[in-house]
Amino acid sequence: MFINWKSREINLKIVYYGPALSGKTTNLEYIHLKTNPCMRGELVSLKTRGDRTLYFDFLQLELGQIAGLKPRFNLYTVPGQVCYAKSRELVLQGADGVVFVADSQQQRLEDNLQMMRMMETNLQALGHSLRTMPLVLQCNKRDLPNAAPVSTMRQQLGFNGAPCFESVATKGAGVFNTLKAVINLVVSHAQRKL
Amino acid sequence: MRTGLVLPEKLGKQIDCILVELYRKTAAECVLLADITGQLIDAEGKTQGIDPGLVAALAAGDVAAMAELTRQIGEENPQGSFLHEGEKKSIYLFNVADSFILIVIFQADIPVGLMRLFVRRAAERLHPLTAEFEDVMGAPRQVSNTAFSTTLAQELDRVFEGL
Repeated sequence: MFINWKSREINLKIVYYGPALSGKTTNLEYIHLKTNPCMRGELVSLKTRGDRTLYFDFLQLELGQIAGLKPRFNLYTVPGQVCYAKSRELVLQGADGVVFVADSQQQRLEDNLQMMRMMETNLQALGHSLRTMPLVLQCNKRDLPNAAPVSTMRQQLGFNGAPCFESVATKGAGVFNTLKAVINLVVSHAQRKL
Repeated sequence: MRTGLVLPEKLGKQIDCILVELYRKTAAECVLLADITGQLIDAEGKTQGIDPGLVAALAAGDVAAMAELTRQIGEENPQGSFLHEGEKKSIYLFNVADSFILIVIFQADIPVGLMRLFVRRAAERLHPLTAEFEDVMGAPRQVSNTAFSTTLAQELDRVFEGL
């Protein structure tokens, strides 16, 4: 979080974290596509030639003046491939909230779990924990026939009490509900500090 | 661990002065200050045509990657500066106090040596000021909690209605 009292801006950083190909970039692409261009910046993706996230995607949202302040939300994704562990930690630095995008397919449950553990390690390295970081769980790809029950995913990932949303990011279902939830969570968490 | 940065108004003006001076002395296109998490702190100069928030995020990513890269080759204190010399425009990133990045975008015909000199001097003046940033936890309250969160929630519903 960065607050500039001269310009009355509040900058908050939200990171979409999750296993490879779970739909993190697709979330940002849909937000970029559907948001009024005057309220958002360019969507920048640092990708490999194979269209996989190499470092991060970045999208900035500005909601205008609210109660005399200008909130600005910087949305990032992390690269999901296992080999990019250090990059994920760097992107997570300074995060005010996290959306964990889990892949609902039965055969990806273990990958979700592995990535959740990595996130916990990253957060600990940065002085946070799953308990202290505002967190939203998004169970993506709910349209696939082999999707695991949400209750199973919640239980397995152990996000106690974290808001949970079902989504089909390719069609936009659940994308904005997730975004609104994480923004509200981050803001209420930030206000406890303010 | 610091949970967030607060830039008080008076400090903001002092930082403004240093950036404006750097911008004028070097004839740069623009001068930005960001923190290492990618948050834009201040911008001076001609920022039309660029997105300062995006430049700050990318610069932070670049500096973080380069710091890690230099650590891999055994550098004990990976920090310093990074220069991209373009055909028309160049960009110079300079670490300030390990936690901030001074970003200067300038025409490629401006001598790089001159740029390095003025940026280093500006960084030296910024260095003590960076210690005066307040932590969010210790900052004085300046906003009505309920008004902000209630209005924000309503605004989110309005902006994203039907999406």
